[in-house]
Amino acid sequence: MDFTFSPEHIALRRMIREFAENEVAPIAAEIDRDHQVPMETMRKLGQVGLLGVCFPQEYGGMGAGEMGYCILMEEINRVCTSTGTNVGAHIGIGAMAIYLDGNDEQKRRYLIPLARGEQFAAFGLTESGAGSDAAAIRTRAVREGDSWILDGGKVFITNGGYADVVTVMAVTDPALGARGGITAFIVETDWEGFKVAREEDKMGIRGTSTAELVFEELRVPHENVLGKVGEGFVTFMKSLDMGRLTLGAACIGGAEMALESAVRWAKTRRQFGAELASKQAIQWKIADIATELEALRSLVYRVAWLVDTGQPFGQLAAMCKLYGSEVASRAIDIALQIHGGLGFSRDFPLERGFRDARIGEIYEGTSEVQRIVIASNIFREHGVRIRP
Amino acid sequence: MRIIVILGRVLDPSGIVVKGSAGRIFVNREEYLIQPADACALEAALRIKDGMAAEVVALPRSPLPDDDILRQAIARGADRAIYLTGPALKAADEAAMTGVLTAAIERLGGADLVLIGSTTLDTGQGQLGLRLAEALGGAQITGAWQVSSADGQVQAVLQRNGRYVAVEADPPVVVTLLPGALKLRYPDGVRLINVYRGVGEVGDALEAWDAADLVDEAALTPLVESRGKEFAPERERGVRASGTPAEMAQAAADALRQRMRR
Repeated sequence: MDFTFSPEHIALRRMIREFAENEVAPIAAEIDRDHQVPMETMRKLGQVGLLGVCFPQEYGGMGAGEMGYCILMEEINRVCTSTGTNVGAHIGIGAMAIYLDGNDEQKRRYLIPLARGEQFAAFGLTESGAGSDAAAIRTRAVREGDSWILDGGKVFITNGGYADVVTVMAVTDPALGARGGITAFIVETDWEGFKVAREEDKMGIRGTSTAELVFEELRVPHENVLGKVGEGFVTFMKSLDMGRLTLGAACIGGAEMALESAVRWAKTRRQFGAELASKQAIQWKIADIATELEALRSLVYRVAWLVDTGQPFGQLAAMCKLYGSEVASRAIDIALQIHGGLGFSRDFPLERGFRDARIGEIYEGTSEVQRIVIASNIFREHGVRIRP
Repeated sequence: MRIIVILGRVLDPSGIVVKGSAGRIFVNREEYLIQPADACALEAALRIKDGMAAEVVALPRSPLPDDDILRQAIARGADRAIYLTGPALKAADEAAMTGVLTAAIERLGGADLVLIGSTTLDTGQGQLGLRLAEALGGAQITGAWQVSSADGQVQAVLQRNGRYVAVEADPPVVVTLLPGALKLRYPDGVRLINVYRGVGEVGDALEAWDAADLVDEAALTPLVESRGKEFAPERERGVRASGTPAEMAQAAADALRQRMRR
């Protein structure tokens, strides 16, 4: 067993940390306050190659694999969850669906500009009646000659308000449902019939765009079918598996930020004539965060290694997301408690971190859905099929 | 135009905690960076290359245990880097390094411009640039904020007596850059991965040269020989005063009086 990072991944982490400290951290509070997507920062991420971190170099990527992508998510989320979410929705699910099941022409046409940050991607799955129950989508796609006509809409689409390309899941055969009746499409947002209906006003990750999308007789060329007709559900589930792993990595960043803040404050804040760090009540809290953080780090990077070496990882990715989001929430809650009243103040980043962390247990599959995925996999190995 | 950039490394200060009360320095994260002033020299070289045909070659300012900062330089845009190695180099001081670097530059086919940081963060040494200018027989410009090249000449902006002064010189020129003069660009992601993997175009950009092949052993003998270490006696700890300003002033005065009586 070798738990060391390769020299290239150590160098990559150093590069990302430098970028995150200089470009992302200084605007984190501002984009949260103003509810603004940091477009300039997103473009800069693309210019240095980070938005293609995990994709092959022949498709405009960096070729650093899933390990490199997890490092990116950890380091960006360590300083700003909003920017991390924009990056994750763009690479981890939007562009990832094209990378996983796109043909060579689609990858050249879409993945290259996405990897360079010249265009941005979103992932169109959730609908008002289909959240955790993803197979219940109602957006319809009907074949008409060389095109498909899409009607319907999506809600809670991260990056939806500014994406140039959206991967969309639609029903192409209602009789078959998720088992052959759902198809994935690559949709360009400047096509007629595509509309951004509204932006959500959210509790956290306020430096992101979460939009409702409407498709009205949206004509999509047949060449933009992603993967095979009828197999879109599989494409989207594979993309979500990848996304869940990297959300776990994002949560390492959030928990790290919490731990660093808590330790720094415990060293400087004096009460009852001594530093908080000398109090056992504080020491134990910090020990708990640090232990869970290390367990999460081991899990996430092991799963990244499984992905990069072509081994099965779906169930473990669900564990990364489930455990990661709950560890990050606990860590920020504890760090805020250690800061007392100042942690509750908007002058300190923990208040933002607390609001931002909450979404981790909801988006890209709630904690409850992750538990279903994990339990289903366990029972399947024992011959029992679980229905949600 | 061939631009040589001389780079050194320094322990990342953000990974170090100095604990005065314990009398210790804690190294939490042992990570090395390009010396800040040398980083400005690299950025100056890359900016010149952005605007004209130029080759940027990075060389180390002192013996390095590994080639990491040279790979970093390639990732950020340097065309080549030469890692100077060999047992004879281990004890080399600035005088010996001047000889090795001069020979290396000669082997590269000479240089039109040599850029180096004006000082180092750890030892505060700033002699190498001056020594190199002397050895190469070129002009020297020290403490520049900006460097450019046009019409076959090298231009630099300096700060003297609170004013900015523009100077120019004919190549070969050695220019030392001030720390903080320029912000070093980020590495290019693909170059970064490829230079560490040793693949693609940048995979061959890093070469290792044995110093013994460049100069004879006598030239590597340091001018200064270290015969051991001696430290100043430990200073007595100060007095911590608390209370109102008047009480603190009284406590300080009492402490001084006691010390004078001793």
